[in-house]
Amino acid sequence: MSQLQARFYTENKKYAVDDVPFSIPASSEVLDLGNVINKLLQANNGSHKQVDFDFLVKGVFLRSSLAVHMETESISTVCPGILTGSYDKTARIWSPEGKAVMTVAGHTDAVKDVAWVKREGLTSWLLTASLDQTVLLWEWNSERNKVKARHCCRGHAGSVDALAVDPTASKGLTTLRPFLPVTAVPSEEEEEVAAPANRPRKKQKTEQLGLTRTPLMTLAGHSEAVSSVLWSDADELCSASWDHTIRLWDAETGEQKTTLTGSKVFNCVSYSPLCRRLASGSTDRHIRLWDPRTKDGSLVLLSLTSHTGWVTAVKWAPSHEHQLMSGSLDNVVKLWDTRSCKAPLYDLAAHEDKVFCVDWTESGLMLSGGADNKLYTYKYSPCKTDAGA
Amino acid sequence: MPTTSDQDAKVEPRAAMSKTPEKRSKTSEKRSKTPEKRRAEEEEDEEEELLPVDVEGSSLALEGSSDSEESLFSGLEESGSDSEEDDEDEEEEGVPGSAVDPDGGNSQETVEEGEERGMTEKERALLKDKTDEYDHDSSDEEDIRNTVGNIPMEWYKDFPHIGYDLDGKKILKPIRNKDELDDFLDKMENPDYWRTVPDKQTGSEIVLTDDQVDLVHRLQRGQFGDVNFNQYQPTVEFFSGEVMIHPVTNRPEDKRSFIPSLIEKAKVSKLVHAIKMGWIRPRRSKEERAEEAGRYYDLWASEDPNAILGRHKMHVPAPKLRLPGHEESYNPPPEYLLSEEERLAWEQLDPEDRKTTYLPRKFSCLRAVPSYSRFIHERFERCLDLYLCPRQRKMRVNVNPEDLIPKLPKPKDLQPFPTTQSLVYRGHTGLIRSISVSPTGQWLLSGSDDGTVRFWEVVSSRCLKTVQVGGAVRSVAWNPNPAVCLVAVAVGCDVLLLCPSLGDRLLIGSTEQLLSSYQPPEEKGEELVVWTTAEGEEHSQGVRLRLTHPKAVQQVVWHSKGDYLSSVMPQPSSHLQVLVHQVSRRRSQNPFRRSKGLVQCVSFHPLRPYFFVATQRSVRVYNLIKQEMTKKLQANSKWISSMAVHPAGDNVICGSYDCRLAWFDLDLSTKPYKMLRHHKKAVRGVAYHPSYPLFASASDDGSVIVCHGTVYNDLLQNPLIVPVKVLRGHTVTNDLGVLDVTFHPSQPWLFSCGADATIRLFT
Repeated sequence: MSQLQARFYTENKKYAVDDVPFSIPASSEVLDLGNVINKLLQANNGSHKQVDFDFLVKGVFLRSSLAVHMETESISTVCPGILTGSYDKTARIWSPEGKAVMTVAGHTDAVKDVAWVKREGLTSWLLTASLDQTVLLWEWNSERNKVKARHCCRGHAGSVDALAVDPTASKGLTTLRPFLPVTAVPSEEEEEVAAPANRPRKKQKTEQLGLTRTPLMTLAGHSEAVSSVLWSDADELCSASWDHTIRLWDAETGEQKTTLTGSKVFNCVSYSPLCRRLASGSTDRHIRLWDPRTKDGSLVLLSLTSHTGWVTAVKWAPSHEHQLMSGSLDNVVKLWDTRSCKAPLYDLAAHEDKVFCVDWTESGLMLSGGADNKLYTYKYSPCKTDAGA
Repeated sequence: MPTTSDQDAKVEPRAAMSKTPEKRSKTSEKRSKTPEKRRAEEEEDEEEELLPVDVEGSSLALEGSSDSEESLFSGLEESGSDSEEDDEDEEEEGVPGSAVDPDGGNSQETVEEGEERGMTEKERALLKDKTDEYDHDSSDEEDIRNTVGNIPMEWYKDFPHIGYDLDGKKILKPIRNKDELDDFLDKMENPDYWRTVPDKQTGSEIVLTDDQVDLVHRLQRGQFGDVNFNQYQPTVEFFSGEVMIHPVTNRPEDKRSFIPSLIEKAKVSKLVHAIKMGWIRPRRSKEERAEEAGRYYDLWASEDPNAILGRHKMHVPAPKLRLPGHEESYNPPPEYLLSEEERLAWEQLDPEDRKTTYLPRKFSCLRAVPSYSRFIHERFERCLDLYLCPRQRKMRVNVNPEDLIPKLPKPKDLQPFPTTQSLVYRGHTGLIRSISVSPTGQWLLSGSDDGTVRFWEVVSSRCLKTVQVGGAVRSVAWNPNPAVCLVAVAVGCDVLLLCPSLGDRLLIGSTEQLLSSYQPPEEKGEELVVWTTAEGEEHSQGVRLRLTHPKAVQQVVWHSKGDYLSSVMPQPSSHLQVLVHQVSRRRSQNPFRRSKGLVQCVSFHPLRPYFFVATQRSVRVYNLIKQEMTKKLQANSKWISSMAVHPAGDNVICGSYDCRLAWFDLDLSTKPYKMLRHHKKAVRGVAYHPSYPLFASASDDGSVIVCHGTVYNDLLQNPLIVPVKVLRGHTVTNDLGVLDVTFHPSQPWLFSCGADATIRLFT
C-alpha cells in the first residue's frame, strides 16, 4: 500500500502537533489518524486523554480512507492550478487566484479538452486534446515554470473532443483518448485508449521529445461521435455519444458492458463515486441521472430541468454526494442538489456567452468556462470571484 | 227402361177399359143429381186442375176400380196379380247373380207363367172372357170416349158438352145439380167422399180404390208407383275392366284391324311434316319450363306495402307562380305606372332582360280591360317549365367540416423533429445565401454576400475559418463523399473548389494528392470552362481550383459520388445554362443542346443516373445514360425557386416564389402529389433530411416550416405528409427572410441562414 505525506494543523493550541510531514498509509481512516494524533499528543503530554478527532482534508471532511478520499478528489492530489484549453490552440495553467501561470502552446488546432495526469513533486503531467486529432502529454515544472511536450498520441481519425485520466494515475499512468466527431466511418465510431504499460517504459520514451504513441485499445461501438468519456471505476469507463447512448466498457477487455439509451444527443456525462450515479447533459435542456448498474439500461432516475439551452457540461461535486454543477448554452451555470430536483440551488449567471465547461476544484471552488473567453470561479458560498481571462 | 214403359202403356188402357162401366152408371146418377152438386163437382174440377197428378191418379184409380167392380177383366187382372205374386215368389226364391234384367226377365216370365197357369184352372173362364172382351171392347181406342184429346177442358167451359164421342156425337156435360147443401151432406154422409174425384174428360165422379189412393200417396211422396219395384237393385256391369275368357261377341276380327290404316298414315305424316317445319314444337321438359318460369320474378315481392315509395317520398311540388302584384292591377297605384321614358326603355330592352313581362296600364273600369294577349303564351310557357325542367331534391348533408379533414397523426407522435432554436452562428456581415453541412455533421459551411465563406463548428457555433473569395457567394456545397474533403463555392462567374482543412488529416492529404495528381491531357479541345489551379495567396487560403465560367454561376451541386459537379448559369434562351464538371479529369461538358427555359436549379439523383433540372414552371428528369428526358413534372406554380430530391430518389419537393411547396411522387404522376401553402411569402429553400422522414422549407416571411414526410416502401401507400413545426428566429431584412435551409446529416437538426446575416441551428 502506498504511503502519503500529511501535515496536521489545528487552531486549538491544546491539540497542536509539530508541523512536520508524516508518512501515513493511504488506507488509513479517521480512526487511524486519530490514533496517530493521540499517540503524538501522549508522547508530548502524558496527561493527554483519548480524544476523537475529525479531519479536514483541504477543507473537506475526511469520511473514508485516505486513499478513497484522494481518489474521489484525484485532481486534488495532482493539480497545482487550473488548466484550461481554448480555441486559440493553446492550453493555459492558472493559479487558483486567477493568475495566468503558463501557456501551453503546441497544438495546431483548437484545444478541446485538458486534464491533469499526476504530480511528482514540482513536476506535473498534463494532457491536452485537440481538433488536430492528437493528444499531447506535457510535463510542467512548476518551479521553473517550463512546459515540455512529452508525447504525441495519434490514432484518432477525427478531432479529439474529450479525454479522461485513469484515477489510478498515481500508480501507473493511463491516459484515455477518446475523440469526438467522426471522420472516416460514420457507422462505426472508434474510441481509443492509449496506455503506456508502465512507468519505466514511459520514462524511457519521454526522453525523446514528442514521441508518437498509438492506441492501446480501441473501443468501437458508437455509431456517432463520442462527446464525453470518463473512468467510472479503475477498470470501467463510460462514454456518452451523439447516437443517444451512454455505454459502459470494461477497460481490461474493451468489451461493452451496458448501454443506456436516451432520446437525444448526449453532450456530457459525469460520474459520482459518492452516490454512484451518472449525470448526463443532453441537447434537450435536461440533466438526467442514471444508475449505471441497472442492466436494462434505460432507467432515468431523475430529470433536472431548468436550463433553456443545451446542457454542455455537467459535473458532480467531488466531496458532496448530492451536489452537481451544470453549464448550458443559455449562458448560465447552475448548482443543483439532487434532493431538490425541481429547481437548482443557484443560478450562476456570470457568463455573457455560452458555457462550455464546468469543474470543481479540490478546495470547493467551482469553475466554468465559456465562449466569452472567460473562466469564472465560484465559491460554494454565494459570493463569487472573477478569475479573469 | 223399356219394360216399365210397356207396363205404363198397359196400365192406361186398362184404366180406360175399367172406367167405362162405372162412368155409365155414374152418369146416370149424376143426371139425377141437383145443380148444386154439379157446382160442387165443378169446384172439384177446378181443384183437380191444380193437381195434375191427381188426374193421372184418377186415371190409375180407374184401374183398381175396374178390377174390383168388373169381372170382365179379372183374367187379365189376375194374371197381373199373379205376376206380382210371382215376382214376390221369385224374390223369395232369390235367384242371385242372374245376369238378366230382372224387370224385363220377370215380366217375360210372368207372362209365360200366367199363360201356363191359365191353362190349368182358369182356362175356360178366360176363354169366356176373351169372347166377352171382343164383344164389349176390343181395343184401346174403344176406351176413348171423348175424342177431343188432351186439351185443357176449360175450353169447353161455356158449352153444354165436353167433347165428342167416337161417333161424333156430343158428350154432354153431366147435369150438375148438386148444390152446396148436397155437397155438404155428401161430405158428411158419404164415407168415400174424400176419395171421390171428378173426371174431367167425362165430367163424372170417380171413387178411388184403396190401391189407387195408396198409389197417389206414394207418388205424392216421390216414390215409385210400383210397390214391388226395387230401385236399389245391384247393377250388373256388362263392360268392365275385367278380362273375360270369352269374348262378349263371337264376331270374328275385321280384316281392317290387321291392315295399316291409310287415314292414320296420312294423319301421322301430316304431324311429322308439321313437326319438321316447326309448326308443332315438341313439348318442353319440366326443367325448361321451370327455367322459363324462373326468368320472371315478382319485382314487388319484397316491397313493403306500407312503405312510402321513393318517388312519393322525393316528390317535389312544382314551384309556385308569383302572385300578381299591384303593377298587374287594372287600376294600379300611380307609382307603378311607368313614365314615357321608362316605357320606352322597357320596350327597347330585350324581352329576356326585362324585369317584368308586363307593362302596367290603367283602365277606368274592369269592363274596359281587354283580354290578355299573352295569356295562352304564358300558360304554354308555364307548362313547358313544369315538364321540361327536371325537379329534384337537393340533399343537403350535414357534415362537420372537421370530419372531412383526413386524420393526420399528431406532431407529438412524429418526434423527433427540430423544435427550438439552439445556436446562432454570427459573424457574417452580409446576407447569407447558402449553407452546407459536412457529411460528418461536424462542420458547417456558409457563403455570404460579404464576400466570405465561413467554416463553423456545429456544436460550439465557433467560426473556425474564414475565406475571402472576393465576391458575393451565390452557392456553396460540401462534397457529399466522406472520403473527399472538398467544397464548391460559386462566386460570380467562378466556381471555386476549396479544401477546408478540417477533419481527418489523412483525408485532407488524400484530397490534396488527388487534386495535384492531375495530368493535363495532351490534346486540348475547345473548353467551355477554364480550369485554373490556385496558387500563392489563394492556395494558402484553401482555394485549390478555379473554374471560370462564361457567365455568372447561380448554383453548384455535387453528385453523391463526389466526382461530378454541376453548375447553373441561368440565362433565358441560352443553351449554355447547365454545365457538368468532372473534378478528377478537370473536364466540363454541356449536357443540353437546347434551352428549355430559364433554369432555376439542378440536382443529381442520389442513387441512379438521373438529373433533375428545374425551370420556371416545370422540373425535367433526364436519364444521363440514355441521354433522354424521362419525365416532366408540372409544378403548378409560377416560378420555381428551389428543389430537393428525397434521399431514396422517388420524391421531389419544389419550392416556388408564389409561396407554394409541391411534393412530387415520381411513381405517381407528373402532377404534384401535394401542394403545401403554409408560407406567407416566397419559398426560398427546401431540403430533405438524409435519414429522418423530415423536410423543411424556408421562406421570405422569416419562418422555416418543418414537415414530416414518411415515404413508404410499399408502392401502394402514398407518402404521409404532416406539417409539424414552424420555426421562427430570423428577422426579415429588406423583404428577405430565410434564404437557405439544410439538415444535419445524422441528427434531426436544422440549419437555416437568412438575410439577417445569421445561421441558426434548430434542434
